[in-house]
Amino acid sequence: MEAEEFHDSIRPGLIALLPRLKRFADLLVGERTEATALLRRALHFMLAEQHRYLRGRALDGWAFAEIYRQWLAELGHHADPMGQAKVDEASFAELFGDDGDDGDALTTGFLASLPAQQRLTLLLIYAEKFDYLEAGRVLDISADTIASRLIRISAIFADRLSATAQPQGSASIAALFPQGARGSS
Amino acid sequence: MTELSDELLVAYVDGQLARKQTHAVEKVLEQDDVIARRVKALQDAHSRLEAAFEAILAGEELVVAKPERAGFFVPWVTAVKVGLAGVGLAASLMLMIAGYGWPLSMPDLARSSSGLTDPEYTGSVPPTWQETAARAQGLLSRESLEVGLESQSNLDLIAVQLGQAVGPGLKLPNLDRDGYRFVRAQLLRSGEEPVAQLLYLGTSGAPLALYAKRGAESEAPSFKRYGGIGSVAWSEDGVSYLLAGEADEPALMQLAERIRSGPQTAGSEGAKADSATPPTTPLRSP
Repeated sequence: MEAEEFHDSIRPGLIALLPRLKRFADLLVGERTEATALLRRALHFMLAEQHRYLRGRALDGWAFAEIYRQWLAELGHHADPMGQAKVDEASFAELFGDDGDDGDALTTGFLASLPAQQRLTLLLIYAEKFDYLEAGRVLDISADTIASRLIRISAIFADRLSATAQPQGSASIAALFPQGARGSS
Repeated sequence: MTELSDELLVAYVDGQLARKQTHAVEKVLEQDDVIARRVKALQDAHSRLEAAFEAILAGEELVVAKPERAGFFVPWVTAVKVGLAGVGLAASLMLMIAGYGWPLSMPDLARSSSGLTDPEYTGSVPPTWQETAARAQGLLSRESLEVGLESQSNLDLIAVQLGQAVGPGLKLPNLDRDGYRFVRAQLLRSGEEPVAQLLYLGTSGAPLALYAKRGAESEAPSFKRYGGIGSVAWSEDGVSYLLAGEADEPALMQLAERIRSGPQTAGSEGAKADSATPPTTPLRSP
């Protein structure tokens, strides 16, 4: 094996993962340009310190964890970390493309309202199909915390979906009885 | 109305429940409209989130794939132009990769069309001998040395020690028919958790090892290769197993199947040191 091949051995894996890593960074930061910059810094670190990658661990989980760790470390250097973690809704909505209908707007609005860690929890479980343990390793929390987050977030989102479904029902009643329910009795 | 918690319903929607629990929830759903509506809302939430995440990925794949031609080497200048033109933010990541002196091979990117179906990447960085030794050291615990080498091939002692540590469902498989003679066993550790190691020798070559620790109730065998070492991992009866050796995938999978389907025969009398080859034996705590 040549030296170059040895040192570059996680490169093809990272390149193959690029769209997924970018999505992870997008949801973490909530905005494309900053997410790209974060991903660039994280990739620099991963490549320079690739000896830290433990053989046998899935590369995607390791890379996600490194991006998250990088974000946390940088957040800690800000005077107002909480302010940095907030997302601009318009920039956030751009992550999902331009052809969103009302339903997508509801979903993107809901995701924008969540803290970054909760968005990532949803991403890792529902999109990346990680199990609770793997997702916990990425976010450095227990599988139980992942489970309780999922329950809480799913319940809140389901409540919102149910709540938005109800006014539509009222509207159809109003259309059927323009004078109101009393007028028809 | 039946009371079912969101905890249970989310687990149901996410497919995290055992089969019996799933059937129980489905029975309730047939009879209770309120619960059924709640499950539908949770399923709707789930599918909307999945669709939203897919939309982001589709956008990123488009951006990453934009400057490519299959198998085309992207020269520095082209990549810089692509970056300057603002065709895609991912292009700047590629520039960063190029900055590391790498040629950008596009088939690698084309392979990433769906992350969910990518095979698990287990890495290919060859460790130094020091790294390998240091990792092996991490497996040793005090208990590894508290039973002497002679005792390590005494099945009764093994049964007591490993059974206590790993659990009564642990099997000590007999692989004589497959050409592997049981030699000895010892107790290692993974973090704070005990790991049983059973070692076998074939007529030639490196030992075959079966590792076992407390784990999931049931998981199908899956093969993975770590450099020259092939391995099959699975779980049964609350014990997770890893069969590892320098054999190929079909051979290891066949051995794993034999261990899994091995009889749960009790007792270990007659097992001798040296040539002790245990039957497939569930260990019992004393």
